[in-house]
Order: sequence, then C-alpha cells, then structure tokens
Amino acid sequence: MPNRLELTGITKQFPGVLANDQVSFAVKPGEIHALLGENGAGKSTLVKMIYGIMQPDAGEIRWNGEPVVVPNPKAARKLGIGMVFQHFSLFEALTVLENIALGMDAKIPSRELEGRIREVMQTYGLVLDPHRTVATLSVGERQRIEIVRSLLLNPQLLIMDEPTSVLTPQEVEQLFTVLRKLAAEGCSILYISHKLHEIKALCDTATILRGGKLVDTCDPKQETSRSMAEKMIGSGLKDIVKAEGRAFGQPKLVINRLRTNKAGHFDVPVDNVSFTVRAGEILGIAGVAGNGQNALLDALSGEIIGDDREAITIDGFGIGMMNTTERRKRGLCAVPEERNGHAAVGDFSLADNSVLTARDRLGMVVMGLINSGAAKTYTGKVIADFAVKALGPSSTAGSLSGGNLQKYIMGREILQKPSVLVVSQPTWGVDAGAAAAIHQALVDLASAGSAIVVISQDLDELRALCDTLAVINMGHLSAAKPVKDFSIEEIGLLMGGVHGASEADHAIPA
Amino acid sequence: MQFRLEKRREPSKAMIYITPVVAVVLTMIVGAVIFSLIGYDGIGAVREIFLTPLTNSYKWQDLGIKAAPLIIIGVGLSIAYRANVWNIGAEGQYVIGGLAGTGIALLTYGMTGWWILPLMVLAGMLGGMAYAAIPALLRTRLNVNEILTSLMLTYASVQLIYYLIRAPWKDPMGMGFPQTRLFSEAARLPTIIPGTIVHLGVPIAVLVGIVAWFIMTRSVFGYRMRVVGAAPHAARYGGFSENKTIWLAMLVSGGLAGLAGVLEVAGPFQRMVPGFPTNYGFTAIIVAFLGRLNPLGVIVAGIVLAITFVGGEVAQTTIGLPNAATGIFQAMMLFFLLAGDILIKYRLRRVLPQPSVGAA
Repeated sequence: MPNRLELTGITKQFPGVLANDQVSFAVKPGEIHALLGENGAGKSTLVKMIYGIMQPDAGEIRWNGEPVVVPNPKAARKLGIGMVFQHFSLFEALTVLENIALGMDAKIPSRELEGRIREVMQTYGLVLDPHRTVATLSVGERQRIEIVRSLLLNPQLLIMDEPTSVLTPQEVEQLFTVLRKLAAEGCSILYISHKLHEIKALCDTATILRGGKLVDTCDPKQETSRSMAEKMIGSGLKDIVKAEGRAFGQPKLVINRLRTNKAGHFDVPVDNVSFTVRAGEILGIAGVAGNGQNALLDALSGEIIGDDREAITIDGFGIGMMNTTERRKRGLCAVPEERNGHAAVGDFSLADNSVLTARDRLGMVVMGLINSGAAKTYTGKVIADFAVKALGPSSTAGSLSGGNLQKYIMGREILQKPSVLVVSQPTWGVDAGAAAAIHQALVDLASAGSAIVVISQDLDELRALCDTLAVINMGHLSAAKPVKDFSIEEIGLLMGGVHGASEADHAIPA
Repeated sequence: MQFRLEKRREPSKAMIYITPVVAVVLTMIVGAVIFSLIGYDGIGAVREIFLTPLTNSYKWQDLGIKAAPLIIIGVGLSIAYRANVWNIGAEGQYVIGGLAGTGIALLTYGMTGWWILPLMVLAGMLGGMAYAAIPALLRTRLNVNEILTSLMLTYASVQLIYYLIRAPWKDPMGMGFPQTRLFSEAARLPTIIPGTIVHLGVPIAVLVGIVAWFIMTRSVFGYRMRVVGAAPHAARYGGFSENKTIWLAMLVSGGLAGLAGVLEVAGPFQRMVPGFPTNYGFTAIIVAFLGRLNPLGVIVAGIVLAITFVGGEVAQTTIGLPNAATGIFQAMMLFFLLAGDILIKYRLRRVLPQPSVGAA
C-alpha cells in the first residue's frame, strides 16, 4: 500500500527566511503522525503547503503514491485532506448547523446536511446539538464543530493544528478517543502540537522540525518527553529552578469580593471573587477559556474600574477604584491574553510599545514629553534579556512572530520589577525553549518578593509553575489550595463546573 | 496574467510618501482625459489648474492666503483622525470661530488697542471648541456618532450667519446688504509683506503645523492620539481613557478650525458676509489625508489643494472650465489617495497560472 502522503525535498523561501529546507517525510494510511517543532520551525508553512494555502518553491508532494499539485484548499478538500485550525472560523451568532453549512464547498439542503451531521456525530461519539448557537458553546464544543465539518468530507488525512491548547483534560481524552477511532478506520492524522506527553500518548510517529529543517523522525513511545524537547530546541532543556523550601512573606495582593458587570452580550463577568497572594507566591488560576478570565484580568489591571476601593488591595492599600496608570505606579503590572492589539500595538515600534506601559514606572516622560532615548534603551534591554528575535527597538511589534512578541511583552513587564504581576496565558503559542525562559523569569521575580497571578488554560504550565492554584468557572473562583494537594481529576471537575459536592450532569458530556 | 495582493511583513515606509505623489499625478492624467472627452481642452485644464499658480508669481500670494486656513484646519483634523475621531464638521467650527471673532470686532468697534486681535483669536478658538464640544458630548454621553452630528451642525452654523448678518449684526450703513460693517483697523489682521495681501495668518499656519508635528511625535498627548487610533484596546490597557481622548481630539480640531475662521474673517474678509463659508472645512479633510495625517505633510498638502483652488479660478477665466471642475479634481485626488493606500500594507504580485490538480 502506498503512503497516504509523502513529501520529498519540500523547500519554501520567504524574504529573509528559509521556512522549509528540503523537508521529506511520509504519513502511512491510518497513522497518527506528530509534527513537532518550536515556533518558527516551519510547521505552519509546511502544513499550509499540504493544504494548498501556499505553494512550495521546490520539492514534491505525493498523495496515495501519485505526484500532485495542491493549488488551493478547495482542491485539498477534494483530494480528501481536512484541516482543523487552531483558531476557529465560526460565527458566534449562528447555530452549529448554519456554521457547518456555510463552510461546505457544495450546497447541501439543510435537512440532508443535518442528517449527515448527526450520523457523523453518532459514529464518532461527538456530542453536539446542531441547533445550538455557537456563542453558547464551550471551546471544546466549538472545536467539535470544526472536526465534524472536516469529517463530513470523509477525509483520508486530517490535519489538526494545536488542537488541545484550550481543552480540559476530560475534553482532551474525548478528542483522543475520536482521533484513535478515525485512525483505526484508515484515516491518517497529522497532529501538530508541542505538548510532548500528548504526542507520546497519541501518536505513532513524530517528525521533528527545527529552523525549517527536518531533525528527526522517531517513535514517540520510544522517546522521553525530554529527549524530544531537546531535539526540538537543539540543546539541553532547562528545568524551572525553584529554591527549595521557599517561605512566603506577608499577604501582598488581597482580593475581596471582587465583581464586574456584564459588559457585552458574550461577556462573562466575575462575581464574588476573593483570594490572597503573598510575597514570593505564584498563584495559578485554571479554567476553560471564556469563564470570566478576561473580566478578572481587566478588573485586576484596572481596565475595568470597580466601585469598591477595598476589593483589591496591595500591601493593605485599596486600589479598587484606580485606573491602570495609577495601579502601575502602585506596583501592579498586568499582561492580557491578546498580544496584538491589546498588550501591544502592531503598527508601533517596540520602543513605542514600551512607552505604553513603562512610561511612568521608568521615567520615560518628562514634562509631558516622551524621552525616546530612554524608551529605546529599555527596549534594547528587554530584547537582549529575553532573547527576542527582532532587528531592534525600531522594529514594529506586528513584524514579530507571536512567540517573540510574547517574550517581548513579558520582558517589558517583568523588567519593570512590579511588586504584583498579573499575567494571562504567559506562554500561549510560545515554544518550549522560550516558555522555559519566561517561566524562569516569573519564578525569579517571585523569589525577589513579588506576588504573581498566572491565569492560564494550560494545566501543565500551572502545575509546574505555581505554588497555589484556584479554578475559575462561569465567573466564580474556587478556593485556592497548594498545587500538590490538587489531583488532575479534581481540577478537571472544577473546570467543568462541579464544586466539590454532587456531580452535575453537564460536567462531562458522555 | 493575474495579480494578487499580498500582505507585507512591515508596512512600506516608501509607499507612505509615494502614494500621495502618485495620487496627484493620476488625478492630472485622468482629469485631462475626462475633460478632453467632454469637449474641453483637457491638457490645458490640467496645466492651468496645477502649473499656472506655480509659474505665475502674481498667484503666489493667493496660494499663501488660500493655503493658510486649509493648513490650520487640516492640522487639527489630522490630529483628531489619528485618534479615529471623525470630526467632519470643521466647516461649522470654522464658521462659529469666525462669528465669535466678528462678535468681538463689533463689540470693540471704534476702539483701538493691541489687545483686540488677540481677544478675537481667543474668542474664535473658544467658539470652534464650543461648537465641537456638542458632538463630543453626544458621543461620550449618549454614544451618538460624531460624523453625523458634526456634519449636521455645519448647516446650522451657516443659518446662524444668515440670521446674524440680516438682523442684529447688520451694517447700519450697508444699504440693506446682508453683511456686518467693516471691522475697525485694530480688528484687522495686518499684512506681513507690504504691497501684497499676505496676512499674518500665513506664518501662523506654518507655525501651527510645526508645533503640532512636534507635539504629535514627541509628547504623551500625541502618543495618546496615535495609540487610541491604532489600537483602542491597547490604549485602554496603557491607561488612556477613550472618552477623554474623544474630548481632546474634538476640542483641538474644533479650536484650530475656529482659529482658521477668525483669521479668515479678520484677514481677507474684514467683515462677516454670507459668502464666508467657503468649504475650507471640508477641503481640509482632503488636506489631512493627503498630508498623511502628519502635520508637516499637511503643510505641503494644504499648498497642493490651494493650487487647485487658485488654478481652478484661472481655468474658469482662461478656458471656461466650470467652477465644479475644481471640486472634481480635489475629489479625484482623495479617491486615488485612499485607493493607493492599500499598497502601504500590501504589495501587488504577479501570479503565474497554476497547473491544475495533476492526480490520477
């Protein structure tokens, strides 16, 4: 039997970068094949060429043994290639059925389509009501729409781009069950991820890319997570170094019955949130996306100004009614989840982006005028200390890759030495090497006596990084406990909305 | 052969400066073709409109006094538009500024003193600000779109002129003409070059442009305007409130439009007349965009638009082009400019025809 997909000598050159350099590998029918690599290793480019979004400069793609040219995604779907993107393209105000209908190449009567959708869901155990509005669905459920959409075309190869980054552990298990079943029926799966233990659990083969070149094709079950990570980043991996037996200081950030108002139709406000972070402590807030994390971050950073001064205190001083600028002067810095357009301005240079949050703490403003020299110097320090790949402080933020921009933003806040730092998704989309550097910088900042709050959907990250953990669900925060006192199952149940007592029926869809 | 737009990694710096020039050149070419097609001397029209004002030194002073209000208003609009605050009613703020200055001139009629002109200027700016404050208030309190309110207020301001110069402010010696009396000497803007009509407003316009450029590039105020326009969410994160920015943008652009109004009434007009609203406030929108929302660029763009005004008048007398032709040329310029702007973030690439799917 010929290989389902075979790439030979695929090369793609962008201005200034060789994104793929002579990449060759093969995916067998029914194989779950991992594509591993850091940000900028060339995974996305490679996959885009397979799916017809881009064309290779050189090399050959063989599909079931025959050489093919894939001019566009429509042609890819016709061949039998499906893809589930990391960022979903769904209309929130429409139903599941309408969304799927809009994404189909052929026009199918809606009743017939619904029948086929139900059939696919039945076959693969994907629980979803076709008539629900997308806005009411969790991220995991939204992903199921995208999977169903791809499966309706009976693909022979399904490409999954970082599918588990926003799922609860239970949802990840369900997804794996579906993928294993698909593979057993002969559909090949190309699985892009940087979560190594998932790849070990799921995949038969792993192809590792680094700097556009193929480094190794290996059997993940024979490798350790560490050995694969080292192949990925090309050097020894550093563990997070935490000083043993650290003692925490006085309560630094105390949140007392914090609440926000519902802002938009799809906004999830927080209600009655209380927690305490001591000097030197890292508190993690776990939860599935869309459970009030954004409102919590905005309420802490000062983008949403509350009506109770004492709802947020730093060292006993109430800051609940201050704006972001005043809170920064008091020592509270924050990093929102969205990088481009929220934490940074894409059209501005990095130096100008430093002015955005560091101008008061670092004296970049004198008599209403901006000291651009000071901004450039500080930006240069951030670039150097956090190994940001940028031409210099004058590069625009929008020209940086997502991971590099995140390194810059984290560096910009951490080097201000805030006494309280609140960050959301500090390493989302950041490669293993950079993530380790960001984690270490956070730990070092805590060791120096700062209180840190990390809001993340990545449980591995939270368990490795944090001292204490709490779970947010529908705007409510569970009690915080030391990380080691939480089991994965317990966290998963809290994320699904079960608070200790009885198991609600909506917790785990069967 | 197919072409495709492809996103650039970095916005092209060169294109920012090239597209306005290309827009002007395209306007000349297309304008020549269109006016030839409808039976005028197209090439002659373009020559008269774009070149005669530059080659004929008699026209230079006209250029200066036409460019001054365009530049002053355009600078204010460029600041507001940077912050995505769409003040379309500069014409109305210009009119109210002129009226406020007229009010002071009439109150102080017959008096002398150095303080009269500065007081008029102050009143003019406050008048423009106050008129711009209405859309600002409606926008920040009730979320009413400032484009509509500022535009509609323009028409109200014109009616206010008609009322004032027909009744309370009418010239007692005017033999019934709807106009105010001629301002006294102390309320007229002095000329700066003897023997010409070039008044103090011309150097003031250049100064406004330079000061605004410095403020926009170096100060926190300028940073605030730029960041609110580029990424409103990031601006909030950086500590810049949206409402305060709307107020600042409206007041600055309104105040500068008011300044242009008072300089115009105290300079070329020296009295309030029904013909005072000359669409400078609307043309300045083109000036702001042609100048790339950069105050220094606005100075250049103001001169370019002044050329079309002066040249349009020349063409009316020499080749009988209708007055509306000037408007057509100005509108084409804005059209080509906005269309060309896509090349700043995108590049045009030739796409070679792809062989079809070659399977089986």
